[in-house]
Amino acid sequence: MSFPPEHLLLLSAALFALGVLGFLIRRNVIVSLMCIELMLNAANLTFLAASRLHSGSETPDLQGPIFTIFVITVAAAEAAVGLALIIALYRLKQSADIDATTEMKG
Amino acid sequence: MNPQSLQTYFDGAAFVALSPLIVIALGLLLLLLSSVLPVGRSVSNLLMLGTLLGSAALHARILASEQVPGLVVGRSYAADHTSAIWGILFVLGTLIAWLYSLRYYEDERAFQTEHDVLMLATPLGMMLMAGAHDLIVFFIGLELLSIPLYALAAFRRSRTKSVEAGLKYFLLGAFGAAFFLYGSALIYTTTGSISLDAFADDARRSAILGEPLALAGIALVAASVFFKISAFPFHLWVPDVYEGSPTPVTALMATGTKAAAFAFLMNAAVILPHSAANSVALIALLTMAAGNFAALVQTDVKRMLAYSGIAHAGTLLLAVAGSLAGDPKAGAALEASLFYMGAYVATAGGAFGLLALLERDGEHTTTLDGLRGLGQRRPVIAAALTLFMLSLGGIPATGGFLGKYLVFSVAVRADMTIYAALGVLLSVVALGYYLRVVIAMWMQSQPEGSPSVDSKPVALAATFASAVCAALVLWMGILPRWFLDTM
Repeated sequence: MSFPPEHLLLLSAALFALGVLGFLIRRNVIVSLMCIELMLNAANLTFLAASRLHSGSETPDLQGPIFTIFVITVAAAEAAVGLALIIALYRLKQSADIDATTEMKG
Repeated sequence: MNPQSLQTYFDGAAFVALSPLIVIALGLLLLLLSSVLPVGRSVSNLLMLGTLLGSAALHARILASEQVPGLVVGRSYAADHTSAIWGILFVLGTLIAWLYSLRYYEDERAFQTEHDVLMLATPLGMMLMAGAHDLIVFFIGLELLSIPLYALAAFRRSRTKSVEAGLKYFLLGAFGAAFFLYGSALIYTTTGSISLDAFADDARRSAILGEPLALAGIALVAASVFFKISAFPFHLWVPDVYEGSPTPVTALMATGTKAAAFAFLMNAAVILPHSAANSVALIALLTMAAGNFAALVQTDVKRMLAYSGIAHAGTLLLAVAGSLAGDPKAGAALEASLFYMGAYVATAGGAFGLLALLERDGEHTTTLDGLRGLGQRRPVIAAALTLFMLSLGGIPATGGFLGKYLVFSVAVRADMTIYAALGVLLSVVALGYYLRVVIAMWMQSQPEGSPSVDSKPVALAATFASAVCAALVLWMGILPRWFLDTM
């Protein structure tokens, strides 16, 4: 069973919007990290759907899938550093809330 | 892919083009290895120094050769004279930050090798960004630069401010990267290509710019690059992150990240429509205004320099706007950006470095009051800091002045005289806060009852870095011919 690429594009746009909203609204840093992952995966889905859009029946367009693989790899590295930072914050503040970071004015 | 087609991807030209990056990658691995082997600090220091200088030398070789490699590895990475100059600039920025970091840490001294590994990864990312000719390469470079910086910002992990800076930088940086990716995905959806080649010829370009989805993608990508160069309205993270990070890391962020993002922006300006020139110029002015007026009221020098960095990004953005509007003198915008950024790397690197030096000696330097009377206590350091402040302010006979002059002349030639005039006015406002630092150092005495500090002898590495920065600032200001001819 396969979906038309246009539907996948709409779905990924919705996912991206959800990620942005969640990032802006939620105060817990772990949830923020999850929202960022949601946005990245929305981009991945768009790449894959668009790749199908551009593929001929015989010649697949591989740029989209390759980009996706790079994004997944980099996102893993990014999440590792992010979680380490959250642990460092928790050790100092006993909290994983963005409002706990109030040492500086901005 | 069969072996033969791999050879067409990675041929001799590709090897020459990527050699400065390969050297850094190898140095990085050896440095990691040296942290687990029973070798002394001097070995890893030499390794770090050798790697950076080797990479700079290979860039210089590309710069000196008549036949540049050009676009390599399936037209995804460009190595030419411009990218070689940027590469040398990145190495310089990293080197300055690293030299100042050598005696900076106290509690974390045991992790200096890890710190160096993270620092050495950043120029690799910057070079990929500067040479990127497609969006994947740019993305990899961006993350190779950003992820180590997130960790470096929080390097003094027992201090709340440092962790806070790291976390803020991470959250906003990752958020920005997601925008970049979604924007690239939209561009790919409409054009079927992730290469900047898609925008190369005018007919195809205007067809692409007619698609709303592609325009949205370009806007998202531009927003994430503007975030990295701290342009208005994406500049609010800068002061907090700069203030909280260890000062040598701040020096690296201020010089390296900004230069790399501008290097890409100069390459990728082709994807912006010509009609965007006025909006970019407006953003440039707003960025300068936001940076300069906020800097006026700061009492913390590190924060003040952060806002000053925002203002400088705004000035440089004016050169981008000028080149979009069509500067009749081809290549002048690029030349102005390279010169401006070169002067800025030497000046801001030196200024943040001297602050790191004073901080280590227990002076209360990050505040303006702490600098009072520095001229009597430590005249050489005060004199160097004065020179950097004057260059940041754009006083003649310093590199900063000529950089500003070149940028504003690009804007004037591109019929943006009003923007240029307003920019000059805003630069005059900026003198207000740079001179405040100079006045505090030379004309005010140390406040009564403040603890007297024993000034430890300055480390050789830091002395050397300061001397190099000061020499560059003066050289670029007084005898700029050599630099302009090399470009």
